[in-house]
Amino acid sequence: MKQCRIEREQRENLDILHLDGALDAYSFPRLEAALRALREENRNNVILDCAGLDYISSASLGALIGFARRARENGGDLKLVKLSRKIYNIVELLGFHKILEIYPDLESAVRSFAA
Amino acid sequence: MMCVVSICVFVLILFGLVFHLRRLRAEVNRLLQEKQVMVGFVHDVGEVFAGAEDVDTDLLLNRILFYALRIVRASAGAIYLFETEGGVLRARAVAGMFPPLAGSGRGMVVDAVGGGAKRLREAVLSERIKEGEGLVGEAALGRSVLVEDPERDPRIPRYSGDLLKVHTALAAPMRFHDRVIGVIVVVNRADGNVFTRSDQTLLESIAEQASVSVHFSQLREVIEQKRRIDHDLSLARRIQKSLLPAETPRIAGLELAAFNEPALEVGGDYYDFIDVEEGLLGLVVADVSGKGVSGAIIMALCRSVLRSHARHLSDPGEVLREVNRFVCRDIAEDMFISLVYAVVDTETYRVQVARAGHEKPLWYRASDGDVRVVESQGIAIGIADSRTFEEHLQRTEVQLEPGDVLVLYTDGIVEAMDRDGAEWGIQRLVETIRQSAAGGAEAVAQAVRERLQRFTAGAAKYDDITLLVLSRPV
Repeated sequence: MKQCRIEREQRENLDILHLDGALDAYSFPRLEAALRALREENRNNVILDCAGLDYISSASLGALIGFARRARENGGDLKLVKLSRKIYNIVELLGFHKILEIYPDLESAVRSFAA
Repeated sequence: MMCVVSICVFVLILFGLVFHLRRLRAEVNRLLQEKQVMVGFVHDVGEVFAGAEDVDTDLLLNRILFYALRIVRASAGAIYLFETEGGVLRARAVAGMFPPLAGSGRGMVVDAVGGGAKRLREAVLSERIKEGEGLVGEAALGRSVLVEDPERDPRIPRYSGDLLKVHTALAAPMRFHDRVIGVIVVVNRADGNVFTRSDQTLLESIAEQASVSVHFSQLREVIEQKRRIDHDLSLARRIQKSLLPAETPRIAGLELAAFNEPALEVGGDYYDFIDVEEGLLGLVVADVSGKGVSGAIIMALCRSVLRSHARHLSDPGEVLREVNRFVCRDIAEDMFISLVYAVVDTETYRVQVARAGHEKPLWYRASDGDVRVVESQGIAIGIADSRTFEEHLQRTEVQLEPGDVLVLYTDGIVEAMDRDGAEWGIQRLVETIRQSAAGGAEAVAQAVRERLQRFTAGAAKYDDITLLVLSRPV
């Protein structure tokens, strides 16, 4: 599987993580590092662009949920956009779609933060 | 008269000689002293570098830096090492008022008092420098760098305060065989002069010598870390194994079969059979998202909470709600448990199913030979508050007829991969169940296990594999 590339795009009041590849046991430390950096910089409004994501492990989902909880405590949130059918099925199976906000495109997620 | 002059000349020459002799003596003493310093240094360095096998890498780096500063008479310095991946360097030892080297230097004002030095140190330690980037990154490409005129050098950040101003700098790569493992950087000579070519040669040779010890010390660190992980894993595996049922219960009119194959990296699956009350049997299949000992402990907690509530409550939904309430308090914020819990009435063959974010059970019906998915909503345990959890939890009922089979499993089954990275997938699982269902629970478990083994032959296993099968023989 293709290792996941994580690119961070910083906007004024939020950060977007563009994911490309598979978030498995090998890429997991990279996700952890990216989330840790956001936490250390106290950046709590985060959008995860999953357009290029083709697999996500349960440990990675756990890290995302953990980040979302902390972000909410600090007045922010973590939102998911552009989930493929496969990734959405995993998220739905775990019931995470009831916990995390999911948007079809980047613009609507960005707007939701502004609201 | 001549005699007096001769005597005077003689006395003068004598004085001159004595004076010269004294100077020579002083010179000899100075040289001896210098020699002593060098001998002392060589001895110290030998000790520093020889201690690599049992000295912690950070301590070793601090000692090397201390000697490097002494030798080239620098007032501050740092040692950067490559991180394990990504071609990024991070400072592991810092001494003196050493300025952060990534960035422009603007906006950083530091005073030595009031915790300024500590903040400065932290700023240097938290920097990540890419290979090729700035002074450190350039030296990491393999050649030492001498900066004689920092004012005009783009690699040196401009700090406004005197404390952080760089007047002269020197960086040398630490190499083990052909690989650069890190960089030693020193700034500002204590005597106010600019670093010379001979300082550069000195620092190069210190870096060269130190790198062997640093390499072995890092190697030792990796081995130590691996040993700790192995210990952690074997402990986790022991806990996990002790939690699995020793045997499968025998119940008249029903057949049960189950297996669990742990992966190399313990994932955290478990299954369980629970005597709920007379005529009611509980079946559990669960997957804890955390790894290692912490995952195994949460698994143990989940199992005992579930067992204790199962004996008071016959509704599987209520049991899961209690488990969620209990586990939420203790579970780490980035961990969760996906779980399916079914309660079987051994008299009527009615099965009630509650699912908390887990793979949906599969139900083979003998009447039409079809396998259907047992649908129900539910959020994984450990992430939602009681109200949200309860709101989205559905119970489903399955009436087992003669020849029917119910299969509970973890995602390790359908996500198991072959050597080329292709997944086994739910379709193959459904097909296997359909083809083996006539033989009952044991036959289904056996068939799934065998086909999975054939499919994944030669591929690494990433996740635990767990399957539990219930059938009602004809």
